[in-house]
Amino acid sequence: MGMEWAWLLPAVCTGAFVVVAALGRWLPGRGSLLAIGAIGTAFVLFWFVMADVVGNGPGSFSRAWFDSGDLTVRLGMRVDKLAIVMLGLVSAVSLAVQVYSLRYMRGDPRFGWYFALHSLFAASMLALVLADNLLVFYITWELVGLGSYLLIGFWWERRSASEAAKKAFITTRIGDVALLIGILVLFKATGTFELSQIFAMAQAGEISQTTINLSTVLIFIGAAGKSAQFPFHVWLPDAMEGPTPVSALIHAATMVAAGVYLVARMAPLFVLAPGVLDLVAFIGLTTVFIGAALAMVQTDIKRILAYSTISQLGFMMLALGSLGFTAAIFHLLAHGFFKALLFLGAGSIIHAMHERQDIREMGGLRSRLPATWVAFVIAGLALAGIFPLSGFFSKDDVLFSVLDNRGVVWFAAGLIGSVLTALYVARLLYLVFLGEPRSQAAREAREAPLGMTLPVMALMAPAAGLGLLALAWGDYDGFGSFLVFLPFGSRPFEFHGAVFWPSLALAFSAFLMGLSMYRQTGGVAPALVRRRIPWLLTALDNKLYLDHVYQWTVDHVVLVGSRLVALFDRAVVNDAGVDATGRATRWSGLVLRYHETGLVSTYMLTIAVTAMVIVLIVITTG
Amino acid sequence: MNVDFALFIPEFVMAGMALVVLTVDLFLPQDRKHWLPYIALVGILGTMGSVFTIAGKSEELYGGLFLVDNFAVFFKVFLLAVGAFMVLASAEYVKKNLTRPGEFYGILLFSILAMMTMTAAGELLTAYISLELFSFSLYILASYAIHRPKSVEAGLKYILVGAFSSAILLYGLSLIYGSLGTTTFSGIADALAGNDDIPVAFLAGLVLVVVGFGFKITAVPFHMWAPDVYEGAPTPVTAYLAVASKAVSFALLLRLFAMAFGPAMDEWRPIIAGLAAATIVLGNLVAMAQHNIKRMLAYSSIGQAGYLLMGIAALSPLASNGLLFHIVGYSAANFAAFACIIAYENLTGKEEISDYAGLSRRQPFMALVLSGALFSLAGLPVFAGFATKFYLFAAVGNEGLLWLVIVAVAGSLVSLYYYLMVIKQIYLGEPEEDEPLRLSVSTVGLLGALGAAVVIFGVYPGPLINLIEKATAVLPMPV
Repeated sequence: MGMEWAWLLPAVCTGAFVVVAALGRWLPGRGSLLAIGAIGTAFVLFWFVMADVVGNGPGSFSRAWFDSGDLTVRLGMRVDKLAIVMLGLVSAVSLAVQVYSLRYMRGDPRFGWYFALHSLFAASMLALVLADNLLVFYITWELVGLGSYLLIGFWWERRSASEAAKKAFITTRIGDVALLIGILVLFKATGTFELSQIFAMAQAGEISQTTINLSTVLIFIGAAGKSAQFPFHVWLPDAMEGPTPVSALIHAATMVAAGVYLVARMAPLFVLAPGVLDLVAFIGLTTVFIGAALAMVQTDIKRILAYSTISQLGFMMLALGSLGFTAAIFHLLAHGFFKALLFLGAGSIIHAMHERQDIREMGGLRSRLPATWVAFVIAGLALAGIFPLSGFFSKDDVLFSVLDNRGVVWFAAGLIGSVLTALYVARLLYLVFLGEPRSQAAREAREAPLGMTLPVMALMAPAAGLGLLALAWGDYDGFGSFLVFLPFGSRPFEFHGAVFWPSLALAFSAFLMGLSMYRQTGGVAPALVRRRIPWLLTALDNKLYLDHVYQWTVDHVVLVGSRLVALFDRAVVNDAGVDATGRATRWSGLVLRYHETGLVSTYMLTIAVTAMVIVLIVITTG
Repeated sequence: MNVDFALFIPEFVMAGMALVVLTVDLFLPQDRKHWLPYIALVGILGTMGSVFTIAGKSEELYGGLFLVDNFAVFFKVFLLAVGAFMVLASAEYVKKNLTRPGEFYGILLFSILAMMTMTAAGELLTAYISLELFSFSLYILASYAIHRPKSVEAGLKYILVGAFSSAILLYGLSLIYGSLGTTTFSGIADALAGNDDIPVAFLAGLVLVVVGFGFKITAVPFHMWAPDVYEGAPTPVTAYLAVASKAVSFALLLRLFAMAFGPAMDEWRPIIAGLAAATIVLGNLVAMAQHNIKRMLAYSSIGQAGYLLMGIAALSPLASNGLLFHIVGYSAANFAAFACIIAYENLTGKEEISDYAGLSRRQPFMALVLSGALFSLAGLPVFAGFATKFYLFAAVGNEGLLWLVIVAVAGSLVSLYYYLMVIKQIYLGEPEEDEPLRLSVSTVGLLGALGAAVVIFGVYPGPLINLIEKATAVLPMPV
């Protein structure tokens, strides 16, 4: 028992959202405790649901939602192991982040609303994970985007925050439109939104190759928008304008992973489109490099983490494109925990530094923020892929699937990506925690209060030890056998020498090299790089000019088009169409009201005359 | 003839309670007069309880003069509920603005009694007498504020035009009797079905009957008294005219056309459809030009009468359901709006649309209920008006009257404009004073109940539609 309760996870959070949004003012803690209670309940329920799925296999539940002609749309959920992994990640990280926020957001004028939004986001994300048909999936997908938009712009009085919220929403919307078209293409071909039916038809060869290719490309574009893949990644660094716990939850652990989840969920379709998988892998690899390279030159601690997230999401896409679906999800899970930990740690640092985020002003925080330092070391080394932390296992799995299905060249490129990762992690750790404090704020920094360090410590355990899930112990055969994607069989984790040694050696040496290099240069790129390839640094400082290109396109293409359409709308639709009709209608009302004379004799005369006219008409025609 | 008098229990109770109210009034000291509405309320609720003794029965009394069936029971319960809301809505207003509350409530109860017999009438003269009892009560109520010239003018205009229409109606009835030789509804239907040719005198009579009822339901062009009377009458009476009077007249009209005139449907359908279209167009257009909120609602309720007439014109099982459904939805929304207007008048004495500027800041709850009621009248989703209009319009469209549906949809669109003008004032206008308005507990309860009804009928109409289907199942429908 337990699986039938899965719907309760999003349901309790929805309830919390409604109650906190409507009545938060009158609740203790302005509703925050209720929101935390709801997500806590969801987290507890998750264990029951998981126990049931592990014991009795996956299940799905649905009931008719509405009928429209021949089409019956069902509202349902599917609880399988993939959903379980995501449920666990979402509910655990949400819980930690909300508890953390209790202290972090204290004193904010919209404290209650903040927790209402968190409940809304958690509800949407949990529902998204459980969705068993594409329509429900799309609705929750958009709701997740809405939650993200509202939370990025939570401090909307700050212009940069509201601009960032808009940018995130619009950029991901571009992907969403593609996703919607992709869903409709599939619907046109199959006549259903149900995933299981679509997959069955695809495997039976009832969907043409063109349709499969087209729909998977479109779905991937949607996934790329949400998961901040090149060239859509530009919104994620700006999204750091939101409160830091929000960045930890939405822009590191959960929402940005939704794109990866989508591709994994649609795996039975993607494996039928090898060309599209090539695209997925290529975009993923490109994103790995761009994210890592940009993370190397940023000076804002949250932006470094954001670019790192982009790069890691690239790794996940690379794995998906290399048929490593299990590896991608495992990396998603591990990354969700250690990156959330990094962000919460960053929150503590920013809190201690009195809202300063520039790492050039930090330094030497190791002795002043010891708990945060430990968290950062664990999460940072996990991110760099150092044995035996969680990130090592997941990245190893990713790289193995790349080597296995894509060959040595791609594998080498992946290795370079992980070297870059180790380098920027070294830079981050060195500049923030080692050396001498470089500002007054850094000298006076104090460890965050217990309310914030406790959730941080709670996240340390999965960030450090999640690798255990990869290994087989007891009845458990390892993650590769737990989460199996058809048509592939189970693939238990092994230490492949060809992957293990080069990746560990490279990551470790790159990390040490980075530490010593940045110790010498004080955090900037080495002189050799500055002298030889200055153009690269300039380009990186300008974020590869992508924002410029997008801005130019908006200004010179989109807006010009909009003005033309607006002109037509103004002159033809509005003035001639709407306004003229409205004026005519109003005018007729004004004129017609004069039929009301106020004289009873007129009223009676009208009645009598009308009666006679109708009688005459009826008698003459009838 | 053996008559089961038990079937008259609700009417007996109501008549008795009306007399009780009048008698108690004689002995109540002036400072206890505010008990009267609650005595009347008890009478109404008691009658409602007694209606359940006849629920589910299907009987004809006095050879079809008086019918006891689900249709009558449905409307009795519904109209008694309207009466109960009417008493609650008037209590404060009467205390403040009117003298002689005893007769006010006594006559009100008599009018409810008249409505109850109207829904049960199965014969032309019974229907006519009930209608007259009802009208007489309303003539008195409309002029009840005798110290206010506008109210007296309203009463006088109402009775003059009413008597005139009544004469036309009676002439129509006599023509029907003369041509067919019977006055019972089922007898008329049999006579019509038996004749190959429909007698011309009957057609003339039918038209005159339509004209006479057209006055009651404010069909254009027999509506011209309505704005004057609605504006001049005491506001609770206006609400009663707009809701109860219309609802009961449509109940009688539906029964008459379904049970008696069904076989002659081809002859009267174009007339009714034409009247419906004229009513929708004129009511909605002229409502836009109004400044007084009662007058605006008068025209809006003329437009609503047009929608209801569509249900008669279509006359099918679905359309009858739609008609009843819209009557209930319209009554709830219109009564909610009027309850707000009455309360606002009690507090400020004002009734111009511009007086409602900034109401949301002074009394947000009332602003919410009034806006919801107006949205429902306009037919926006979530509210009852959307569901009822959708059901009704779809049923009418099914009967091949698509042009009429298009007119109705256009009319609804226009109506949104003038309802929104009020809502704009409520939420965006600048109030002249900032002082919050305090509502009494009973008003809050009344507004809350009506507002909830407007939403519930819109969101979860299933149970109501089940009851309506049972009620209309007793009506024979032309095939």
